[in-house]
Amino acid sequence: MIESPMITFPLLILFLPLISFVILIFFGKKLPRQGDWVAVGSIVTTFILAVYLFVQMLTSYDANFSHGASLSWIDMGAFKIDLGILVDNLTIVMLLIVTLVSSCTHIFSLEYMKGDVRYNRYYAYLGLFTFSMNGIVLADNLISMYMSWELVGVSSYLLIGHWFEKDSAANASKKAFLTNRVGDIGFFIGIMLLYSAVGAFTFAPIFDSISGGEAIAGMTLTLAGLGIFMGAVGKSSQFPLHIWLPDAMEGPTPVSALMHAATMVAAGVYMCVRLFPIFTADALTVIAYIGAITAILAALTAITQNDIKKVLAYSTVSQLGFMVLAVGTGVYTAAFFHLLTHAMFKANLFYCSGSVIHSMHHALHEAHDHDTDPQDMRNMGGFREKMPITYYSMLISTLAIAGVPLFSGFLSKDAILAGTLAFAQQNPVHFLLPLLGFSAAAITAFYMFRLIFMTFHGKPNMKNIFKDIHESPKEMTGPIVLLGALSFFIFYTLPSNFNPIKDKGWFKDLIVPRNSAVPGSLTANEIAEYAHYAHYLAMGLSLFVAAAGILLAVLMYQRQSISSEKLSNKFGFLYHWSYNKFYFDENYNRYLYQPFLRLANSISWLDWEFYDKYFINGFGKLTKSFSKISGKFDYDGIDQGLVDGFGRVSSVSGNFLRNIQTGRLQNYLLFVVAGILVIIIAQAF
Amino acid sequence: MYRDFGTVFFAVIMGIVMVSIPLIISWLIAPSNKTKDKLDTYECGEEAEGSAWLQFNIRFYIIALIFLIFDVEVVFLFPWAVVFKEMGLIALIEMGIFLLILCAGLAYVWVKSDLEWVRRRIKYGGGRYKPLSASSED
Amino acid sequence: MTNLQSLEFFIPELILTITILAALITDLFVKKSKTNMIGWVLGVGLVVVGLSVHNLSSAPPTTLFLDMIVIDPFSSFMKIVIILSTLLVIVASWVNDELEKYRKGEYFTIMGIMVMGLFLMTSSVDIIMLYISIEVVSIMSFVLAAYLKLDTRSNEAGLKYVIYGAFSSGVMLFGLSIVYGLAGSTNYFAIQDTLSSLDGSANPALIMALLMIFAGFGYKISSVPFHFWTPDVYEGSPSTITAYLSVAPKAAGFAMIIRFFHQVFSDSIGLTSNSIGSTDLPWPEIIGVLAVVTMTMGNLVAIQQKSIKRMLAYSSIAHAGYMMLALPVLSMEAVESIMIYLFIYVFMNLGAFFIVIFVKNKTGGESFEDFEGLGWKMPIVGAFMTLFMLSLTGLPPTAGFVGKLYIFKTLVGAGSEFLWLVIAGGVNSVISLYYYFHVVKVMFLGGKRSDVITYPPSTMFGLMIFTAVPSLILGLYWNPLASWVKDSLVFYNQVM
Repeated sequence: MIESPMITFPLLILFLPLISFVILIFFGKKLPRQGDWVAVGSIVTTFILAVYLFVQMLTSYDANFSHGASLSWIDMGAFKIDLGILVDNLTIVMLLIVTLVSSCTHIFSLEYMKGDVRYNRYYAYLGLFTFSMNGIVLADNLISMYMSWELVGVSSYLLIGHWFEKDSAANASKKAFLTNRVGDIGFFIGIMLLYSAVGAFTFAPIFDSISGGEAIAGMTLTLAGLGIFMGAVGKSSQFPLHIWLPDAMEGPTPVSALMHAATMVAAGVYMCVRLFPIFTADALTVIAYIGAITAILAALTAITQNDIKKVLAYSTVSQLGFMVLAVGTGVYTAAFFHLLTHAMFKANLFYCSGSVIHSMHHALHEAHDHDTDPQDMRNMGGFREKMPITYYSMLISTLAIAGVPLFSGFLSKDAILAGTLAFAQQNPVHFLLPLLGFSAAAITAFYMFRLIFMTFHGKPNMKNIFKDIHESPKEMTGPIVLLGALSFFIFYTLPSNFNPIKDKGWFKDLIVPRNSAVPGSLTANEIAEYAHYAHYLAMGLSLFVAAAGILLAVLMYQRQSISSEKLSNKFGFLYHWSYNKFYFDENYNRYLYQPFLRLANSISWLDWEFYDKYFINGFGKLTKSFSKISGKFDYDGIDQGLVDGFGRVSSVSGNFLRNIQTGRLQNYLLFVVAGILVIIIAQAF
Repeated sequence: MYRDFGTVFFAVIMGIVMVSIPLIISWLIAPSNKTKDKLDTYECGEEAEGSAWLQFNIRFYIIALIFLIFDVEVVFLFPWAVVFKEMGLIALIEMGIFLLILCAGLAYVWVKSDLEWVRRRIKYGGGRYKPLSASSED
Repeated sequence: MTNLQSLEFFIPELILTITILAALITDLFVKKSKTNMIGWVLGVGLVVVGLSVHNLSSAPPTTLFLDMIVIDPFSSFMKIVIILSTLLVIVASWVNDELEKYRKGEYFTIMGIMVMGLFLMTSSVDIIMLYISIEVVSIMSFVLAAYLKLDTRSNEAGLKYVIYGAFSSGVMLFGLSIVYGLAGSTNYFAIQDTLSSLDGSANPALIMALLMIFAGFGYKISSVPFHFWTPDVYEGSPSTITAYLSVAPKAAGFAMIIRFFHQVFSDSIGLTSNSIGSTDLPWPEIIGVLAVVTMTMGNLVAIQQKSIKRMLAYSSIAHAGYMMLALPVLSMEAVESIMIYLFIYVFMNLGAFFIVIFVKNKTGGESFEDFEGLGWKMPIVGAFMTLFMLSLTGLPPTAGFVGKLYIFKTLVGAGSEFLWLVIAGGVNSVISLYYYFHVVKVMFLGGKRSDVITYPPSTMFGLMIFTAVPSLILGLYWNPLASWVKDSLVFYNQVM
């Protein structure tokens, strides 16, 4: 079954991080350097293996390139679950992303987490996360995807709460976990809906029976699709479950880069891309609107945040909204493309912010200042000369996210916006989608440059610490330089098959959209054609909005020709909404948590007062006394009473047996005879 | 079919009756002259001495068991000797294996000194046959 | 097949015989302190036997020695279960301090002879052979139960076992003789042939006979009301032997019951079809009631125990009850579920007993007080014991859950007339939770918390790992076991 490296290598990629997790969690403390070399070694190995797979994919250059292997896990007649892996182009690209960013995070953390109290546990959890993320990527069925999905949730919980001594970190990890649960319930319902209709968990048979149109169709299929999408809403932090991601920034910054920017939050999008064929047109419309709303809301919130990581967090939410929007409008390869480019530049942005925070932290430490927030951009400014590598790398990634030509983000964002525009051209009712999309793109360009200007340009805002600001060591700048370089467009449009004559990039050739399995949907070709028509218009518009956003940022924060304070006073109402994140947390608290807690309290009161006190305890008492009676019966009644009774009868009639046997054994034997007699008599009736 | 057991039952009844009849007849007509010697246990003409409810030395049983095993060996050897010519070599090998196994048994009882009535190596009352309470060493 | 031709298929037993002789002779040459070596001899021999059993398991099913015994995949499966449990018990006997005072040569040798009897039990298709094999196993068990010569309780256990065993086999022989009287043959196939042609008038005699035979079988698997020896013997015997008696003879006993009843009551197609056992006897009801009574009795009395070893004795009665639940269904699926349960039961039950042995080595006792604070003093042992208790209760994700799952699935699938058995089984699982978790509670909440953590010695640790890993893994991924069992569900059958 397992013969080619196309199966063994993905399995190695899957399990090496798990092995590292097991070693580190049990023996990490005893190993030299707390075993970080185990984690780094295993993860770099998986990266090399992923690169090998990637090269294999490029050289074979086949859009239908696919390998699979599966193992029968449960086979109880009618109920069967096969666990398997599926390796195709999508998987390989995703594996490359995960292992690359994970390797960068491991290396980056060598310096960033140095001297941490739970250093070995940190690396162990990173291994667990990488394992479970690879599990999602490689899954060929809903069950193993769901299991890995939950494991990702657990490792995210553990890593966000890494510094659990801080209340805010502990709360953030709880919030992330619980919010994700809400989405996962939907995911599970979706899986069960599909299973009850189709009778399979594996993707291929599900797609087949959906395209058959008999097992499941119409409303049920829409509901199943939306249920599964709810999982993505939770994990990819979409409206209305987006509230956990900004709080998750309480975790260590490399973790934010790995999980809350590049991979874990992208899992939802990846899942939607993987399962795209099951979504009906209605489901896709809902998905598109959710994506668009998320994109614009998060972008608006990001404008007014002052915490450097919070800005990035909201920007991540907004970009994920773009990807979901792309899925919803049918151009899901564009969504995956954006996932790829976004993973690179957003991870880099997080590393850069980590580098800045690291250096701020040290500087504040030198100045014995423990009250100032090292993440607040208002305390920064003018870091450009002190941290040139970080600055230039971050600038490149910012240009990429803003959608400036020659950078990766331009290509992917352009593809998404073109798809959205085409969708609206076909269905003019949905004109709001491109409108929201382009606005969000403009705002993105604006707030990202605001971040750059506030951090690196202008005059230093805290002069007392400015002298101690310095560039980070090599372990940190290495990943920054690497990922910064990967923000250029060239890596994604490299002529395919190493053949410079072809004009399309490898990505476009290898990740081709597939037709939806739902009967009556638009085919992939139709969607691509419409998007192609809208392409030039979309490109022009996106160039325009990017330029507008950047220009506004330059005017407000670089030239300061427009005062930001005046503007915020003028739009005070909007400013407050944005600054307070549209009051989501407050409203959830008032209208969801508090009533729910009250309900839970009253139920638990009922449960304890009535059910536990009377029913459960009563039942317990009953069982206990029954067993006592039964035990007594066995001993007193049968052994002592009945059997001894027999014994006494026999001792009267004949004494001789007592001389050679103990009383009890004799009783046993008599009881055996009595038992047989009872059965014989009983069965006669 | 199980009604055929009626025959068995009849045979049992007949057996009891046929045995009881002579006994009853002799009880009825025989003269009854009870002397001490006549009421005593019959032990091959020897006079009985003491009660039969006494503990025998455990080695009687061991010797009896060993005797039984080698006795059975002979029981097997006789029919084997009769058909030996017909079966030839296989019979020889089979009996060889059988005797080898018995020899292992013999070696076993020998080493465990179960062949000696008076034990030299194992003190009587100690060692293997030490009483249950480990303290008494008399 | 004639005797000489049969030898080729009798190789495992021949190797076993040589092993036993080798063990016996080795014992003559070694000093008392070195008698663990005989365990090695037997262990290595058993591994070879296991390999040759495995080798033969793919041979076509056939009868040997003029229809005395059969070899078929089913008996091969049971033999491997027996070998596995024997090997584990041999290793445990090396580290059982109770046996320190005695020569262990005979102990291991007798164990080897017992394996021989168990092998014959799993494969006999003739009531004479059946009886002889049961007696071989019983007599060896008597000796092993009384092996602690200086311990009066062990002696008492042995003596009780002898008398009880003699009585049960007497009753069984009586039943067998009635069957012989009805059928005119000692061979299962001939008996089946005759019984299927009998009219209803023979039913009273047949039921009497079957119940008497079941007294013999029930004594081996300790089913109510033939279980009375179990607690006393289990408590008095050396703990390793208790562990052994609670798994290996039970496995062979179930093999014997399945073969006997399913063979004798099968229709003409035999054990190949899915529904077997067309009989107008109230057989399912009788066994069903006995199963329910067995597990209820076992569980309820187990709650009252102060000694963990005695509690495990009653718990093993309860587990016999769970396995018996599937017997009334008389289908291949039922046999499959019993086999899966048995395989899992070997690991979880032996594991629990090994920990009892370990604790007795440490503290000298086996009551609940001796387990107090164990979870803090030896977290690894505490964790393993918790796992075994979980598994014995039958909670996911442990192997015990899978065993129960298969049993209940069989019952639910067999129709609504077996539903009451499912309910009884479920209620009993809940009751058993109480006393199994009492152990966990005592280990982690009772006693003083200790800061000094100790680890078990390596042999003991190895044994725990070897039993704990299957108890957990088989709860997560049991498909290989299920398919192996499915492949082993081939009985030799012969239509007269």
